[in-house]
Amino acid sequence: MKFATTAEIVGTVLEVFARPGDRVARGDTLGVLESMKMEIPVLAERTGVVAEVMMAAGCRVAEGDPLVVVAELPAPSTGTAAQPAPTESKA
Amino acid sequence: MTVQLPPTTRPRLDGARPEPDPRSPLPRLDRLFDPLSFEVTAAGGGIDVVVARGRVEGVPAVAFCTDGSRQGGALGLAEADRIVAAIDLAVREDCPVIGLWHCGGARLSDGIEALHGFARIFAATTAASGRIPQISVILGPAAGGAAYGPALTDIVVMAKGAKMFVTGPDVIRSVTGEEIDAEGLGGAEAHGRRSGVAHVIAGSDDDALAQARTLAALVGDRRRCDPALVAEAEADPRRLLPDNPRRVYPIHPVIRALLDEAGAATFIELQADWAPNLVVGLGRIGGATVGVVANNPLRRGGCLDSVSAEKASRFVRMCDGFGVPLLVLVDVPGYLPGVGQEWDGVVRRGAKLLYAFSEAVVPRVTLVLRKSYGGAYIAMNSHGLGATRVFAWPEAEVAVMGAESAVGILHRRALAAAPDHERAELRRRLTEDQRRSAGGVERGVALGLIDQIIDPRRTRAHLATALADAPARRGRHGNIPL
Repeated sequence: MKFATTAEIVGTVLEVFARPGDRVARGDTLGVLESMKMEIPVLAERTGVVAEVMMAAGCRVAEGDPLVVVAELPAPSTGTAAQPAPTESKA
Repeated sequence: MTVQLPPTTRPRLDGARPEPDPRSPLPRLDRLFDPLSFEVTAAGGGIDVVVARGRVEGVPAVAFCTDGSRQGGALGLAEADRIVAAIDLAVREDCPVIGLWHCGGARLSDGIEALHGFARIFAATTAASGRIPQISVILGPAAGGAAYGPALTDIVVMAKGAKMFVTGPDVIRSVTGEEIDAEGLGGAEAHGRRSGVAHVIAGSDDDALAQARTLAALVGDRRRCDPALVAEAEADPRRLLPDNPRRVYPIHPVIRALLDEAGAATFIELQADWAPNLVVGLGRIGGATVGVVANNPLRRGGCLDSVSAEKASRFVRMCDGFGVPLLVLVDVPGYLPGVGQEWDGVVRRGAKLLYAFSEAVVPRVTLVLRKSYGGAYIAMNSHGLGATRVFAWPEAEVAVMGAESAVGILHRRALAAAPDHERAELRRRLTEDQRRSAGGVERGVALGLIDQIIDPRRTRAHLATALADAPARRGRHGNIPL
């Protein structure tokens, strides 16, 4: 399942950290927007692998624009280690 | 007072001990109240609602529970009247009422009488609003009237798997053609993130009941703040802020550092994932309950906007109605500009926050952590709106806008006229002047808009003293679900 992390505020892309193929965890900083004279991090909404980066430094983005697409990792089919219960339903 | 729990299901024919249906009211009420602390005040008689009175976290409370094991918990007039009686009982006893909901809506066989029953619940809930805390816990489906009943109360807690909607997926599909399942339509994600209907999303039924207990105990507690319980000086909470003023940070560690440590329940946040740029929730200072309203720079830079203003307004009015003092933590770059915001009613919704603070008579103390600009300065419980005390940490900026932006407007011509190689230096000098003359916290102090610049290490001591010194008052109004 793929999920787009979107811009939560209008602004200009200041920095991009995420690259396709990167493994990211929910809450990781994927990049930085500048808005309201502040540096506002773009935080990963899901844990998984970066499938697509749709922002570049200097771009203007509007609220809701998709910035980074993360493909959720499929749950391991084997293994006995306890897994944390999923805490979220699909969007 | 304790009573023998009556069996909740008929004995099985084989004589084995009956297993109570987990969806029936008694096991649920039993898990809500303190052990052996409750008595059933109304049950049986062919009416599928049970009412009980007891203690939660030591605080007296009344609770009612619909019977999810019978007709999906659907309510007829008799069930509704029993819920109305429970609310009235809590009003007479001046204690919180907790409603446990598992209810598909109106009982069809009761026809329009069932609708009338829901109307009576709505009227009773509204009449009790602002007089006693009303908390709803959704433990299954809560459809139609069973969604509106909780929505009229002060706090809605949703357990995992709970669903709330006015019309279900089938009706939606037949009318609009939209395909969605019940969880997507009215589950935790829908009401925790999108609609703001749910104040707390709990992991399980037990977690939901535990959260309701904690919240009832917090809101229902009228203890006064005792500064003797707060240390004179503590670790500097300003260490939780970044050095660079352009950097953002999560506000939650700051909130927790300023509240009493109380195990896991230092701070209970409400509507955490909805409008997360503004944080509201309950905790304690000096042993007394306080409501916290705080900008959260990590999200949207901590801007105020249309939705967050409305979120804060309702919370402020709830706290005022129950005599819960307010702590307002300010680090706000301003109101978020934009066409979307204006058309979304930021004027109308932002006005609610101005109204809520202006109206509030509870002690309400403001602390400016880092910056407070423009209209957002006013809205975040400024002196002009009647704040009890306004504190600021050293080097905080209180201004119409940031010095850099102000210079860009005030000195636009001078900057444009300056030779290219001198422009940066001119801008730097003007910005410094601007900061000194209009931006720094000293000007706010000189004008009496900030009472005191405080040593961050003594923040809790200052807050506790301010809260304890203010007269304990309580607003006289309901808590309309803004």
